[in-house]
Amino acid sequence: MTKDGLEIRAVTKTFEGLTALSDVTFSLEDGKIMGIIGPNGAGKTTLFNVISGFLRADQGQMVYHGKDISSLKPHQVVDLGMARTFQIVRPFKSMSVFENTIVAALSPRSRRSRPKGVKSDETAMNVLGRVALDHKRDEPVSNLPMGDLRRLEIARALATYPQFILLDEPFSGLSLKEMDALAGLIRNLLDEKCTILIIEHKLKILMSLAPRILVLDYGKVLADGTPAEIADNESVIRAYLGRRGHAGVDTTN
Amino acid sequence: MNIVTRIWGTLISRPPFYVMAIFLLFMLLVPFLTDDLYLIGVLVLANVYAIFASSWDILSGYSGKENFGHTLFIGAGAYGAAYLNLYLGVPPMLNLLLCGLIGAVFGVLIGIPCLPLVGPYLALATMAAASIAERLTMILSKYTGGEEGLYGLDPITDGPVGDYYLSLILVIITTIILMAIGYSKQGLILRSIKEDETASEAAGINTTRYKLVAFAISAFFAGMGGAFYAHYQMYTGPSSLSIIMAVTIIIVCMIGGMGTIVGPVLAAYMLTVSNEFLRSIGDLRLLVYTGLLVVIVLFLPRGVFTVILERLPRFGQKSRGV
Amino acid sequence: MVALEILIYGAVLSGIYALLAVGFALIFGVARVINLTHGAFYMLGAYITYALSVLLNVPLILSIIGGMAIVFLLAICLDRFIIERIRTTMINVLITTLALSLFADQVILQIFGPDNRNIPAVISDRVTLLGVDIAGQRLLSLIISVAVIATLWLIITRTRMGNALLATAQDPEAAQLMGINTGRMFMITMGIAAMMAALAGGIVGSFLTVAPEMGMLPIIKAFSIVILGGLGSIGGSIIAALLIGYLETIVAYLISFNATELVPLVVIFITLIFRPAGIFGKRRGF
Ligand SMILES: Nc1ncnc2c1ncn2[C@@H]1O[C@H](COP(=O)(O)OP(=O)(O)OP(=O)(O)O)[C@@H](O)[C@H]1O
Ligand SMILES: [Mg+2]
Repeated sequence: MTKDGLEIRAVTKTFEGLTALSDVTFSLEDGKIMGIIGPNGAGKTTLFNVISGFLRADQGQMVYHGKDISSLKPHQVVDLGMARTFQIVRPFKSMSVFENTIVAALSPRSRRSRPKGVKSDETAMNVLGRVALDHKRDEPVSNLPMGDLRRLEIARALATYPQFILLDEPFSGLSLKEMDALAGLIRNLLDEKCTILIIEHKLKILMSLAPRILVLDYGKVLADGTPAEIADNESVIRAYLGRRGHAGVDTTN
Repeated sequence: MNIVTRIWGTLISRPPFYVMAIFLLFMLLVPFLTDDLYLIGVLVLANVYAIFASSWDILSGYSGKENFGHTLFIGAGAYGAAYLNLYLGVPPMLNLLLCGLIGAVFGVLIGIPCLPLVGPYLALATMAAASIAERLTMILSKYTGGEEGLYGLDPITDGPVGDYYLSLILVIITTIILMAIGYSKQGLILRSIKEDETASEAAGINTTRYKLVAFAISAFFAGMGGAFYAHYQMYTGPSSLSIIMAVTIIIVCMIGGMGTIVGPVLAAYMLTVSNEFLRSIGDLRLLVYTGLLVVIVLFLPRGVFTVILERLPRFGQKSRGV
Repeated sequence: MVALEILIYGAVLSGIYALLAVGFALIFGVARVINLTHGAFYMLGAYITYALSVLLNVPLILSIIGGMAIVFLLAICLDRFIIERIRTTMINVLITTLALSLFADQVILQIFGPDNRNIPAVISDRVTLLGVDIAGQRLLSLIISVAVIATLWLIITRTRMGNALLATAQDPEAAQLMGINTGRMFMITMGIAAMMAALAGGIVGSFLTVAPEMGMLPIIKAFSIVILGGLGSIGGSIIAALLIGYLETIVAYLISFNATELVPLVVIFITLIFRPAGIFGKRRGF
């Protein structure tokens, strides 16, 4: 086992009899991006919740940069440099775009990681610029369309200076133009050596970004490989087409 | 010079600040405008309620941890003051500080177990905690004086005007500190916890720590207020722990506007004074408060003063930042 | 001997608590509302029964029914004009209903004064049961509690209205789609629960004190019982009511009458901290 990257070993999580994750194992090196797909209810979000400390795994180990993260609280996971976004956006509704971002810029991780002399306001403005929301800084988030709320989620994650980002369906609800911009941002983050785990139903754009894809079904890892391998994999095709029709797959852009 | 202009700039650029400053300056003049000692006495009570309400607000109004047993901290301060003064001879002024600390200790002791609780669970737990304390004063009547309470505390100043000024100074100290917290970045973090604790954690905030500190600060000022009230009345009794009092404080905050400090403070004066004017028709406090509360939750759910403050102008340069 | 007394008196007390708590749980289960006016309904039931029977000489049974009817109407108005509009904000519901119940205390205090009142008993004879001497009315209250809760159980599980209630409890939106008028279900639940509280008030009036603040502690207890039993679970509430009822009786007999109010509060506080979802686990459903 290396001291780099993230190692997930035999992680299992059940909810009152329902097995949401079963013996999930994979690892991801620093600076790499991996996509996660699977039908609705496959356990993708649960996997994120377990990694980011919002849920405790029943069994298994999770190691990031040589440190066991399985019993950490969410803010401690952020403190190690792993930030996440939510599939169902969770803005602070009564606050402005800027205030939303500032909360993350006030986290200990952010304070510690930014260059000396930079203030939390500047960090917040900076990340808002990266996601192209700076012109809306003083707007209350209750007025924002879905595309903006998705980017606000990402801005909040970025304001904690993450080295590792977990994106839960960041492209859903975005226009074509916004999707291009977001794909560009993700490539930039990779250039900056950020590690990325991304759940996405929009396969075309996911495959253009991620050279490696993990398929979950009923909480199990069904396949783990390149987009081409995944597309040819018998059991993947069956999981998507056989039992549940097209549930959850969106091959449009 | 520099610092003065900066304070002035912040003051006039934010309605809650200048409204509070103008109001408190006016209150400083009241004894020059009237020598009606009864009215002064009513205003002392209003000062005390302003401390209780604003200290509730910094925890519950900001972080959303609605405390239905704020009286536990008030009572801890009041009984603490009685014991320290009666048995150890601690002077009243020192008691204000010590009993604030006693309150804060209770805040942490109650805060730690209550932190994971939300909504009705927290409401019931805090209500139960205050009721337990109230019951204990009855059961341990040998030490607490039971229903009669404890008498004979030293007066804290030498007269009504002194009491008035001291309580007003406590209000000023309390509001300056609580507003400095509430309108700072720490206040923003507390608000984010109220909005969505999960998202706040995801943003890297140790929400547990913030909530605990909020509990301690809230309880500190409640304990200090309780100690003042005990010395002012030279008496303390189980009514300082009653659910009715706890509920009254919450109602004051809801009518004024939770999460603003100014709203609860102004509402404390508005309600206490109007209640006294209605006293001639019997003790109508709860009737009036409840009637107002229902109107407010139905038609102005964010509170009277929140709505007014938002309509007031900002002066000076547009303040950036939070 | 003491054991038998505890057995019987504990059952009587538990029955009354269950009558209050089950209604309270029903409101939460169906409407997701924590209605703290429930204790006031209990108090009002007692006072209306008192006013009708003692002051206006209406026959006692009719007075109790009258109390239930008036409280039913009050509860429906409360739901229609206030709770319906603030249902979604938990703190508003909690504090408004709590304030309203204090309001009701004050109104009754202004009308009837602070003195304790007494309502005559339906059965004024004393009965000997298993060698324990007990007021007939106490026994009657136990029988009524059991009968009412059993009837409610049958209504919920066997009738169409019960099905609609259950559907609303499980998923209000789905129920709405199935053509159930959920707003009406909320109102009916509120009315039924309030009637049960008023009934409890009417029958305890001969052996417990009737005073303006009589609803305050019971509501904290009902709240506690319902949370101990798992919010919204009727079965859990009944078990928790037995637990608290017996606990109080045992404390009253073996420790001191003074401590009876304290013990349940301590139990609820500790339970909340260690098992926030209640002793019986589930957070929702019946
Ligand atoms: N907190 C929870 N309590 C109980 N069950 C849960 C919880 N979270 C998730 N589940 C269940 O676990 C299973 C996996 O859910 P999860 O949200 O991880 O799926 P997903 O792969 O993200 O699906 P989607 O594509 O719809 O987002 C589902 O059956 C879901 O109902
Ligand atoms: Mg998901």
